Amino acid sequence: MDQKTVLVVDDSSLARMMVRKIFSTRFPDWRLLEAKNGEEALAMDGSGLQIAMVDFNMPGMNGIELAEKLMIQHPDMAVYLVTANIQERMQQKADSMGIGFIKKPVTEEKISDILRDDS
Amino acid sequence: MFYLNELEEDALKEFFNMGLGMAAASLSQMVNNEVLLSLPQLRVVPYEEASLMLAPNRDEKLVAIRQIFKGELSGTALLIFPGAESLELVRTLLNEQMPLEVLMELEQETLLDVGNVVLNAFLESFTQMMSCQFEFEAAEYVKGSSRFLLAISSHLAAQQRALSANRSEEDERAFVLMMDFKTNGDGGAQHTLNGFVVLLFTRPSMEILKKELKVILGSFHPSEQVLS
Repeated sequence: MDQKTVLVVDDSSLARMMVRKIFSTRFPDWRLLEAKNGEEALAMDGSGLQIAMVDFNMPGMNGIELAEKLMIQHPDMAVYLVTANIQERMQQKADSMGIGFIKKPVTEEKISDILRDDS
Repeated sequence: MFYLNELEEDALKEFFNMGLGMAAASLSQMVNNEVLLSLPQLRVVPYEEASLMLAPNRDEKLVAIRQIFKGELSGTALLIFPGAESLELVRTLLNEQMPLEVLMELEQETLLDVGNVVLNAFLESFTQMMSCQFEFEAAEYVKGSSRFLLAISSHLAAQQRALSANRSEEDERAFVLMMDFKTNGDGGAQHTLNGFVVLLFTRPSMEILKKELKVILGSFHPSEQVLS
């Protein structure tokens, strides 16, 4: 009954626009929630959230810190860290937390892959 | 006068951030330590204001890595470190206790490597987002006051002509980006160092840049093309 929902957290409006465009043209049955930073994301009513795509580099809390908090709020949600900056240590930390990675720039194929994994 | 609206500025910053991710990954490999780069701020300002942002004290000597680029986009890119930050960066990157003399000897070549990686990442991000082709020349190490570093007269003759064709420096706009370098030291202690990236474009390049940004933003948000 709940519409499938994805949360996008990124301080860049361009980055959010790119994701919004991909969802609205290719995956229109998904509902998109957007937040500019961690505080905004945590304050949202996230009922029905299946997936969160979280930018790593944001003012305030970074993507991993936010992912940790979101996973407590929504234990069933899949969390992906979106970053151009994938380094071994960060990757290990994310892996150990069960967070996936999406390398920026976000493309239709990359989103299609994670939606497939999630279904 | 050249001006970017909020969305255009945001877009440019995001492109640079993507480019920086690659630079951070290469730097991390170079020094075998996690390096995170971020851009807290981007401003497009007159040269005079830019030189004050780089060093409120006009006489302060800054260290910079400078790289000239030519092609559909032409101009000069600089990675600038205020005060003692350049030596500190070298020390942090090499993550070793070294006598100051040795460190100073290594300063120039280490910074050239860092500058190459970082500036190339910036310039690459233009080629990735736009259909612009250009080539970079070898990076050089320069030392001087902020005014000297930005002054068109400090460039080689050919670049001076390209940058200053038919206009005075007062009309010029510089892209000034603050950049934070974060590394993890022994025992998880984090170091943060600040530097600047300054991009000086030729006038035709600025126009191309603006046009390309409009096209890109328009493709996501049709109404933006009407604005500004």
